[in-house]
Amino acid sequence: MPILSTQKLVKSFGGVHAVDHVDLAFHGGKITALVGPNGSGKTTFINTVTGILPMDGGEIHVGGVVMRRMNPADVAAYGITRTFQNARLIQQISVLDNILVVLTERNVWGALFERHTALHLEKAGNILKKVGLWEKRNENAENLSYGQRKLLEIARAVSMRANIYLFDEPFAGLFPETIEVISDILRTLRDKAASVVLVEHNMNLVRELADYCYVLDGGKVIAEGTPDYVLKQPQVIEAYLGK
Amino acid sequence: MEYLIHIAVLVCLYGILGLSLNLVVGETGLISVAHAGFYGIGAYVTALLLVGLGMNFFLAMALGIIASGLVALLISGVISRLRGVYFLFGTIGLNIIAWSIFLNWQSVTRGPLGIPSIPRPGIWGLDLYQNLQFLFLAAASLAIVYFISVFIKKSSFGRVLNSIREDEEATQIFGYATSYYKLAIFTIGAMLAALAGALFATYITYIDPSSFTINESIFIFSTIVLGGLGSSRGAVLGPLLLVFLFEGFRFAGFPSEIAAQMRMLAYGFALVLLMLYRPKGIWGTFRI
Amino acid sequence: MDIAIQIALNALIAGAIYSLVVLGFNLLYSTSRFFDLGYGAIAIAGGYAVLYFYKLLGLELWSSIILGIFIAGILGFCIEKIIYRPLRTRKASSAVLLIASLGVLTVIQAVLAILFTSQFQTLGRGAGESRTFEIFGGAITQTQSIILITALVVMTALGLVLKYTLFGKAVKAIADDEEVASIVGINSERMIGIVFFIGSAIGGMAGIATGFDTGLQPTIGLSLLLKGVIAAIVGGIGNVYGGVLGAFLLAIIENLGAWQFSGEWKDAIAFIVLVVFLLFRPQGILPK
Repeated sequence: MPILSTQKLVKSFGGVHAVDHVDLAFHGGKITALVGPNGSGKTTFINTVTGILPMDGGEIHVGGVVMRRMNPADVAAYGITRTFQNARLIQQISVLDNILVVLTERNVWGALFERHTALHLEKAGNILKKVGLWEKRNENAENLSYGQRKLLEIARAVSMRANIYLFDEPFAGLFPETIEVISDILRTLRDKAASVVLVEHNMNLVRELADYCYVLDGGKVIAEGTPDYVLKQPQVIEAYLGK
Repeated sequence: MEYLIHIAVLVCLYGILGLSLNLVVGETGLISVAHAGFYGIGAYVTALLLVGLGMNFFLAMALGIIASGLVALLISGVISRLRGVYFLFGTIGLNIIAWSIFLNWQSVTRGPLGIPSIPRPGIWGLDLYQNLQFLFLAAASLAIVYFISVFIKKSSFGRVLNSIREDEEATQIFGYATSYYKLAIFTIGAMLAALAGALFATYITYIDPSSFTINESIFIFSTIVLGGLGSSRGAVLGPLLLVFLFEGFRFAGFPSEIAAQMRMLAYGFALVLLMLYRPKGIWGTFRI
Repeated sequence: MDIAIQIALNALIAGAIYSLVVLGFNLLYSTSRFFDLGYGAIAIAGGYAVLYFYKLLGLELWSSIILGIFIAGILGFCIEKIIYRPLRTRKASSAVLLIASLGVLTVIQAVLAILFTSQFQTLGRGAGESRTFEIFGGAITQTQSIILITALVVMTALGLVLKYTLFGKAVKAIADDEEVASIVGINSERMIGIVFFIGSAIGGMAGIATGFDTGLQPTIGLSLLLKGVIAAIVGGIGNVYGGVLGAFLLAIIENLGAWQFSGEWKDAIAFIVLVVFLLFRPQGILPK
């Protein structure tokens, strides 16, 4: 049974369906790629699933249960987390605090009387060392380079300890070494039985990483299957190259 | 000497107001100019309980703080749903409504006549009638508020506030119900402002609505912008500088009506110049 | 005399003044995209300029009024050039612009209070001199009817200018997308300067009208601004005619409220309207 699935999910903007009755299923221990040309609805899909945009129809199931409350904070409680196309960091606090903020208490009263502990620091230290940002831990996040920002956002998402990770173009514009680091992180998450959703344009990376692949175009699923199979389908080639 | 003590008491009061407003504006990024409203609620409730019922000072002050907190809790349930500039207008409205009530609910507040002869507090049989003794009370209160402010900043709660300040939506994605956090800090800020109000009422021994106008809120706001948003030290330094500046105008021999307008002129200019040349203020950690 | 008709007439006059405020406000907002809090004070400065020329220097009425409008326009233009433009060029956040304009509001109010005292002053020369007309049993003064006609003329003229002239098209282009506007060769900085002049001049008319109708006080700047903002939000922000509709609606609610409770609660009532709209219909009453 999939960890996350959607049934006839609809999101429209002014009458145009950006996500058009979409049925997708994401399994644990798998990396699932979402591909499609620009404007095909991939990011809108992620925004709808994570409660940033209110959905206009359909259902979302998590672990077999219908998700009823769709505020972003509630979605997080279902074990769903994500990254953004343009990394959204908390700019004017330190790199370390950017990680700590997802490790600490969620409850207001609990948080008020909690200070981060050695355990929190150890967890944050481990992930920061893994992405090579430990030396930068006391810098403000706004001082990081583009690649470091992407790494920090992914480190933060991983620290959420979710069941479902939605990565929106995590590799875009990065050097091969950095791509390798992030690929490793994605594989590690998969090996821990999490469901990893990857929006990606680079088909070589999709072939290398993804176990399964959905192709979206105009808000609809036009093909699904293993990456090698899907990328040979004529409707997929047509969607990318135009008629 | 008496005059210096008076200034020191004022610095303590505005320091408390600055620290508490900084929690809302500097740490959480909620641009609020309603602080004088809560300051006024604290002052009025305390004064009325002291004058009307002859209640013990600390009990009256505690009730003033609770009243202000309750109002903040109720109101912020509504206005914490507003964002950015709309939140600002919500707080302006809040201050105007609070002030209208001080001014127009004459059967309770005596309207523009104000409440005279508010007794100074006594502790352990010690009469704080002397200004010097009152200064100890005010300074102790400032120290407590400073401690609370640092405690909040260093807690996990404080980190979440900073996170809300810069990207509320992302903070929600981390799993935080951000509206509760905003509600909590707004209420805490209002309660601490009411503490300053209770001290003010008993220090001056007379209050009227003119001390709690929107201009007073803008003044408190400008003190922390000057000191630097997101900095507890700055939230005390800013009030210190501006209170001295204001007393300087009076000392230079301007009549008090003109001195009050000169104060407005000074902090208005301070806001404009800070935004143009140093939006971070003196010790700020947060660039708006 | 029928009370309903008198309320309707009062609302009509207040609505006319608020329409002027909101016309200028929406014009400024649609091009500069921020809530200029200084605008209300500039409007009142126009009123005070007339007070100075007409009552203190004894100039002729109409030339004083024209000078007053011109001064408000120039003031708005200069403030935009000296303060807002540098902030915009360095891409300051909207909070910075907002706080700078809060400073502008404070400075202008303080200067007016220093120059003209904070007492209440009226531009009219005593009630007896103005002729009164009777309409359906309600009373309306000559001054009020002039205000009403002025508002209608400005409204129509502005509508026509925005719709049919090159200037109007340029303003619309900037409002839609400033970058695109500059690509097609519109000098948006210069246009925004002109818009600030015109918008502030219209605000000045509102300030002068207020001076003749109810009277001037430096603090009225803020409340005039708030009326404009509320009308703009009720009518859908940036929508010129929606704003006018909002202005009259606000005036009706306010006058009904003032009749039910008492005049002192006008500002509080206006704010409740604001909060209700922000919560339940932030896009305004008109369908998008």
